[in-house]
Amino acid sequence: MTDSNKNNPQESPPPFLGTWDRLYKVILVIHFVLLVSFYLFFNYFS
Amino acid sequence: MELSTLDWLIMLGTIFGIVGYGIWKTRSVNNVKSFLLGDKDLKWWTIGLSIMATQASAITFLSTPGKAFQDGMGFAQFYFGMPIAMVIICVFFLPIYYRLNVYTAYEYLEKRFDLKTRMFTALLFLISRGLAAGITIFAPAIIMSSILGWPLEQTNLFIGVLVIIYTVAGGTKAVSVTQKQQMIIILTGMFIAAGVIIYKLPTDIQFTDALHISGKLDKLEIINFKFDLTEKYTIWTGLFAGVFLFLSYFGTDQSQVQRYLSGKSLKESRLGLIFNGIIKGPMQILVLFVGILVFIFFQFNAAPLHFNPGNVEAVYASENADEFKQLEKDHLVVFSQKQTAIREMLDNMDQNEEAALEQSIATVHELDAQEKILRDDARELISATDSNLDTEDGDYIFINFILNYMPIGLIGLLLAVIFSAAMSSTASELNALATTTMVDFYKRSFNPNKSDRHYLNMSRIFTVAWGCIALLFAMVASLFDNLIEAVNIIGSLFYGTILGIFLTAFFLKWVRGNAVFVAAIITETLIVCIYSFTDIAFLWLNLIGGVLVLIIASIIQLIIGGDSDQTKEAVV
Repeated sequence: MTDSNKNNPQESPPPFLGTWDRLYKVILVIHFVLLVSFYLFFNYFS
Repeated sequence: MELSTLDWLIMLGTIFGIVGYGIWKTRSVNNVKSFLLGDKDLKWWTIGLSIMATQASAITFLSTPGKAFQDGMGFAQFYFGMPIAMVIICVFFLPIYYRLNVYTAYEYLEKRFDLKTRMFTALLFLISRGLAAGITIFAPAIIMSSILGWPLEQTNLFIGVLVIIYTVAGGTKAVSVTQKQQMIIILTGMFIAAGVIIYKLPTDIQFTDALHISGKLDKLEIINFKFDLTEKYTIWTGLFAGVFLFLSYFGTDQSQVQRYLSGKSLKESRLGLIFNGIIKGPMQILVLFVGILVFIFFQFNAAPLHFNPGNVEAVYASENADEFKQLEKDHLVVFSQKQTAIREMLDNMDQNEEAALEQSIATVHELDAQEKILRDDARELISATDSNLDTEDGDYIFINFILNYMPIGLIGLLLAVIFSAAMSSTASELNALATTTMVDFYKRSFNPNKSDRHYLNMSRIFTVAWGCIALLFAMVASLFDNLIEAVNIIGSLFYGTILGIFLTAFFLKWVRGNAVFVAAIITETLIVCIYSFTDIAFLWLNLIGGVLVLIIASIIQLIIGGDSDQTKEAVV
């Protein structure tokens, strides 16, 4: 993944976390945590 | 079934209120750029909600709870690849679209390859989206007409004409601003529905009891780790094939591309896509969970033996009526036994009596199997009565529940949810079909030097024309086994090839137009053959199609040799 902020000066950074790369990584981590949480939650009742 | 005056008022007030707001808000649209791309002033939350509303059609809210009722939470896996696809689109697709300042995704293909590749891809889009638009209108119309006794043609017309009116009036901006309101109504309605079902459970059944019951009846298996190409919903189809489907749908399908191209800036568009990636999965899980709650509700309240009242009426009017009534009596007996067994199971769970618990779980499973056999027998009887009747009733479960068990007023709101969802996705589809016809065909190849006013008028005419085609298809379409699957299957037949063309454009910079064009035709033929003659689950077609185009285009390019077209390379 490239850092869009550095490659294209016309692109403004995201409103939080400073760079798009960091934001994308956080999004993927949140996604992974959500998947595991849903799995554990529903598995508990199975 | 008759709706109360309050329900009519809430339903029609919501629908016409949103349509009126959309027309009023976009009354100043008077040039083609404004009509096709809005004023490029949308903020990320409007883009995000608009993207979600485009994908979430009425089918989502009618079919998905029924799917959870019958098969459990497994369908959620379909959405597991979405955030990954959103990130890939933000990194690779969006910057190129913004840099080239395109109206449609397919414009980029001419700059990168050639005119024929652009037109072929745009044509694939028009075919797949044109068919899907018909189903998007038809699906809620046939269910509403069957349940409420409304005439099918008029219901089709009601949805189609309303959508055409505001899409023609305000173009892309009308689509986006109405979708924001529609999405708010949809989410509010689903949360209230979930709350009401929980409230309506028996007083001695806690929410956790409800979860235990559905878990013990195998409804909560959200992840299936089994690797089997013929299984439709596994974690592998979600994470691999699903990523390809969503890359194609969100990255190359004009009905979605147009949503985020109307963003104020690249940043707003990216945030809108990310918002969709994070929220959409949990929203689908909520919708599925509403289906699970309906399932639990019907463990303590007698469910109909068959959920499509139109089919039941047909059997009642036939010589099979007595046999069907006997099945209904048997079903009530099984329901009563099952209810007792479930309460015993909960008691054993409370008292930690392992052996007794195992025994009661086995009894509940056995009664559940008996209930399924009775439902299958009912379907066979319906089929024997009239072989033209569709015996699948999954799409009727949620609407049946709404109309029979929801309080007055909320019925109107939930019907407005279903109509809003139908209108929001149809509007995006018509808008995108008109834009592609206008930009990629009419203006590019047939009438390139006309005035802005001419193109604005033609865009409006194309919107009406596609609306009429979708309505025509809706009028002659028949019910598929499950409507949400039908839409996804149609998409999967074309999306792999379309995505493959775009992936080749982005990542195989040495491949040229002729190679990718021939590869796309070969791939599309192979995909249709694979779907027709094998049992491979449809989601895999997205991955297979995408990879096949990449491989075949590379081989063809190696055989015919490369040219050095530097101008094409410059846009990559």
